[in-house]
Amino acid sequence: MVDPGNPRQRARPAWLQQYELVGKIGEGTYGLVYLARRQQPLHRGVRIAIKKFKQSKEGDGVSPTAIREIMLLRECIHDNIVKLVNVHINYVDMSLYLAFDYAEHDLYEIIRHHREKLSSPINQYTVKSLLWQILNGLNYLHSNWIIHRDLKPSNILVMGDGEEQGVVKIGDFGLARVHQAPLKPLCDNGVVVTIWYRAPELLLGAKHYTSAVDMWAVGCIFAELLTLKPLFQGIEDKNGQNPFQLDQLDKIFKTLGHPTADRWPTLLNLPFWQANRNLIQGRKYENPGLYSIVQQPAKSPAFDLLSKMLEYDPAKRISAAQALDHQYFRTEPLPGRNALVPGSPGEKVVHYPARPVDYSTDFDGSTAPPQSNTNLAPQQQQRGEHMMQVPAMHQPLHLPAIQRMPQNNMNNFSSVNQQGRRKEPDSGNQNYNNYQPLNKSRRM
Amino acid sequence: MADFSTSTHCHHWILQRSTLVDKLFTTNQRAQEALIKYGATRVDVQPDGSLAYPENLEVEAANGKRGPTPEHLTVEDELMIRKFYEQKIQQVCQAFSFPNKIQATAILYFKRFYLNWSVMEHDPKHIMLTCIYLSCKVEEFHVSAEELGKGIQQDPQVVLKNEMTVLQCLNFELIVYAPYRSLDGYIFDLENSVQMMGAVAVKNVQELRESAIFEIDAMMLTDAPLLFPPGQLAMAALRRANRDDKKVDLERYMKGIVDRLATKHTLSELDTAMDAIDVAVGESIHVVEADVRRIDRKLKICRNPGLQDETKKRERKGKQKQKRPLQEGAPPMDPNPMDTTNHGVKRRHSEPEGIF
Repeated sequence: MVDPGNPRQRARPAWLQQYELVGKIGEGTYGLVYLARRQQPLHRGVRIAIKKFKQSKEGDGVSPTAIREIMLLRECIHDNIVKLVNVHINYVDMSLYLAFDYAEHDLYEIIRHHREKLSSPINQYTVKSLLWQILNGLNYLHSNWIIHRDLKPSNILVMGDGEEQGVVKIGDFGLARVHQAPLKPLCDNGVVVTIWYRAPELLLGAKHYTSAVDMWAVGCIFAELLTLKPLFQGIEDKNGQNPFQLDQLDKIFKTLGHPTADRWPTLLNLPFWQANRNLIQGRKYENPGLYSIVQQPAKSPAFDLLSKMLEYDPAKRISAAQALDHQYFRTEPLPGRNALVPGSPGEKVVHYPARPVDYSTDFDGSTAPPQSNTNLAPQQQQRGEHMMQVPAMHQPLHLPAIQRMPQNNMNNFSSVNQQGRRKEPDSGNQNYNNYQPLNKSRRM
Repeated sequence: MADFSTSTHCHHWILQRSTLVDKLFTTNQRAQEALIKYGATRVDVQPDGSLAYPENLEVEAANGKRGPTPEHLTVEDELMIRKFYEQKIQQVCQAFSFPNKIQATAILYFKRFYLNWSVMEHDPKHIMLTCIYLSCKVEEFHVSAEELGKGIQQDPQVVLKNEMTVLQCLNFELIVYAPYRSLDGYIFDLENSVQMMGAVAVKNVQELRESAIFEIDAMMLTDAPLLFPPGQLAMAALRRANRDDKKVDLERYMKGIVDRLATKHTLSELDTAMDAIDVAVGESIHVVEADVRRIDRKLKICRNPGLQDETKKRERKGKQKQKRPLQEGAPPMDPNPMDTTNHGVKRRHSEPEGIF
């Protein structure tokens, strides 16, 4: 509990002094994510990710996204759920800063590294361990009546060097909610889940849905871990509120075949299925070829589990608890806690690159001007520029020494932002306050 | 969240009675000290996150000296004012037809907030609105500040102004377990168990539910929700509702629960908790309108000592003009000048002025 203490003794925002800013590691419509180091004696140097939520849209206080993330993560304590270490308020601009344990990797970057740099698949042990831990975290969430509603590779974090190396952390709870005894229908929250990972019942306009939407997304992620390519890469129709996403459905049907009322009895009740029957049924796909896409024998445990996650009928789709119990996890290689380093010796260990950091951004989100026409040494130069950027209120913040990585990392970062990141679309708009759909999907 | 036993509610917000008493005493004491030291109790959050008593500076700058120190509220006064505003939360939630859960969450936020603050420091009228607003947000029952403000004729800015302060004081622990849901669980059980006994028995259970909800509504206005878990509150409400006409064999049901859960707790322990809740409900202070009005005046002056001078000025004016004596029961001072809302004379007679 907060002890207001002696009001006179609290003139300076002490919380800002707990962190030494390293740089920016991501951004979205909600705000920015920074990498910082803790300054407290017990944790000195420990890296931390700080997510800054901008002040919400005009006139409605703290954004529901921030509230959801905070309230759920305050209650969640699990190995495979990202840990919210602290929440801070910046009264200068009424923004919130959420401090998380820092995770060096995420599945988006790991998959990209294999696809673009190594041109080789992720080894079976790593795939299985990652999947098992995702399911383990999800099982915890689902048994607490929480649906995540935005699972995708960039939201699945993986810890870097240290005691928790290779441990999966499910992150970004900005769309997550408790669905036990909802006071209003879930569809009131608007479109959920990034389109490529969106379950067919959502694409067909279901008014009510369950934790099975998360399992569909896990299926898509599983396939992506196997093939290094998004499984259903539809083109999003961005017209209006929750438009019918024909292309996305078409990609799914092409791979899995058309759903039928026999296999999915409640299909006939879904609004978009009825309204767009001709469009949907216009093209017939005879030869569903999921196994050829994921290049797994149709009878292998991996394929069996995948196809149970990609079951059309959400009532029949495998649950996280059932999936954890699947044969796949009981066949060699067995899954482990450190997904990045196989237990058996002799296996090649892949070294994934560190998360790109933009060193030119300050805690308030402003970017330092280009540093060209002074004679200062680089370090002084950076400091000087930062000081100019920092408003008076922020002065207690001790600015970090910034010369840790070579300059070309910066270039990497911006090119990633412009090219790589665009490829993964974003979770839909959230229906509140007419949020714009996110343009940059990089979160945490 | 399904698991109460691992929740922040269970770990941080169920207190020992002695802790509760200590906290209420401490916050009252701190406000009293501020009153002596600064001449006012109102606390504002500064842009840098620090706290300040701006009245102090204003008053001193204006007068060159400080007027007499206003009379502080006692711990009992604070209790009465808080309960008054907790009732208001229920009324506002009813006026908006919000589900019970919203009301319960808002009241718990309000109670938790005033564990750490005195009503002399943060205006309960504003905090109450922020608690309702925040509760709607957390329960995914979104109501905009504008809508809420419109419905109760308040400036939406008043609703929003304290949002961060309340969030911080709640330590961002926002998921609250309300006894209403526990009650529904018990009722579901009871309905199943009397299904074979015919329609009358089923109807009895439903009636019991209705009266138990009233019991919980009343319980929410006491200290009990800060002292006992929601499951026990709901059970105590059932027991109270069933006490007179014994529509259901509740003792057998309670015994069944204790046996089934095979917990370490015995039936007599459960009974002890139920009795303690009964005591908490019985001891709860009765809101007397005249008292609330008196305390509210004290509160306004504590927060805003400038009002004292204005009252005197007005009294002098009144004496000079001598048109007619002050009406009995009319407020002895102008409404808070900061308060832009004024809802006419009619209302003021039935409620402490300036509250709505």
